[in-house]
Amino acid sequence: MCSGQCSMRFIMLMAANPISDATQPRIAKGVRLQVDSATGKTVLLFPEGIVELNETAQEILSRCDGRTLSEIVRDLAEEYDADVAALAADVRETLTDLQQRKLIELT
Amino acid sequence: MPATKTHMNVPRPYALLAEITHRCPLHCPYCSNPTDYCRATATVADPESGRRSARPTTAHDGELTTDEWKRVIREAAALGVLQIGFSGGEPLARRDLTELVHAAREANLYTNLITSGIGLDDDRVRDLRDAGLDSVQLSFQSDQPDLSDEIAGARAHRRKLDVASKIRAAEIPLSLNFVIHRRNIDRLPQMIELAESLGAERVELANVQFYGWAFLNRAALLPTYEQVARAREIATAAKARLAGSIEIFYVLPDYYESRPKPCLNGWGQRYLTVNPIGDVLPCPTASSAIPDLRFENVRARGLDWIWRESESFTRFRGTEWMPEPCRSCPQREIDFGGCRCQAALLTGNAANTDPVCEFSPNRASVDAVLRDVSSSSDHARKWTYRVNPKLLAHL
Repeated sequence: MCSGQCSMRFIMLMAANPISDATQPRIAKGVRLQVDSATGKTVLLFPEGIVELNETAQEILSRCDGRTLSEIVRDLAEEYDADVAALAADVRETLTDLQQRKLIELT
Repeated sequence: MPATKTHMNVPRPYALLAEITHRCPLHCPYCSNPTDYCRATATVADPESGRRSARPTTAHDGELTTDEWKRVIREAAALGVLQIGFSGGEPLARRDLTELVHAAREANLYTNLITSGIGLDDDRVRDLRDAGLDSVQLSFQSDQPDLSDEIAGARAHRRKLDVASKIRAAEIPLSLNFVIHRRNIDRLPQMIELAESLGAERVELANVQFYGWAFLNRAALLPTYEQVARAREIATAAKARLAGSIEIFYVLPDYYESRPKPCLNGWGQRYLTVNPIGDVLPCPTASSAIPDLRFENVRARGLDWIWRESESFTRFRGTEWMPEPCRSCPQREIDFGGCRCQAALLTGNAANTDPVCEFSPNRASVDAVLRDVSSSSDHARKWTYRVNPKLLAHL
């Protein structure tokens, strides 16, 4: 077997590219969104990795079904009665992070 | 065992590494499998013909049965495990692999196959996909057929290329795993290109970690400082260039670091390994690296008890066991004192600070190894190929 076990991994963080309003984010191939029965929280499962989603990320990812970035922001702003500009920045940041880690695809 | 230790707040495990067999058609000199295979015995599948040798009555003696593995999978899921990696050895050497993948999916686990690809034909790819296999990690030894086959000790490279295209065709997410060492580290750009051309989603560029066969072959495998510095630049640049298209994981060559890796994210915190005969290990190399640790077996005990209560999982859990300089170190909850196996292999005591750490009183033992790399000639360095359990039994 291979000697590069997941447990020994050091993750390097990268700078981000901007995401446009018309971008349609989707959960990437090989990535599974699932409820962790031990905690009731939503997690992303992918090869040798698990990300436990905070509430913001969970709300965003549950809307990554073909909707565009601006639609996702608008939906969230309505639901949480939040400031659109601040929300858009949060959503962009979260999606950029997930995209850099190849957990979502942007089309 | 003090009561405080057994009753402390025990974390739940996230991932199970299922080493379903130690048989393998490849003979990579960096294999992390134990060199003595402990009590595991098994016969060798014939990698060249693809046929399996007739099963003598002693064949696979000791390996867990299909039903036993299914029970382990269910118990792991009940403990909180979310991911399973089917590994080995070569997991395809077991004909019940598809059945085990199916059982893991039924238990709602994310299923990963970590394989050389040898033995993966069209039928098995389709069966595995239909069983719900989430991802395949396919090992490559290098980008060039000759060098790759020399490293593997088997004619495997071209078959791996073929297997990669079968996996793509079945639309199973593909990771390419390269173990990086002295003999292939200068091919890093070409290895990344190979991953691109094969349409991989992920590439793991893992500098060899020195356990098992790799520890035995360390002098032949350890790269020079110059090689390591160049490789890091190449990996960093590739990671930036391919961000969002291929995910690149670069596992550092820890002997060249000044702080230890956060091995396992802490002992008995997130990972457990079950080996072919059912021993439950906090990490796959612990059985050979830490000889005085006694491991429990799933045939005798439930996984839950082993994880929570057994001496092998509790001995280095948390920070109570730590000596100085770890005990008072602000990094102690970040790197967890590094790797217990490395401490055992290099200092003779698993409870010592990982000697990779610049604050370890034993750092000189690592520096001495690094000095040797740059002082002696390449040509003197030969490696010993990994042999299979049965062959080893005759030595």
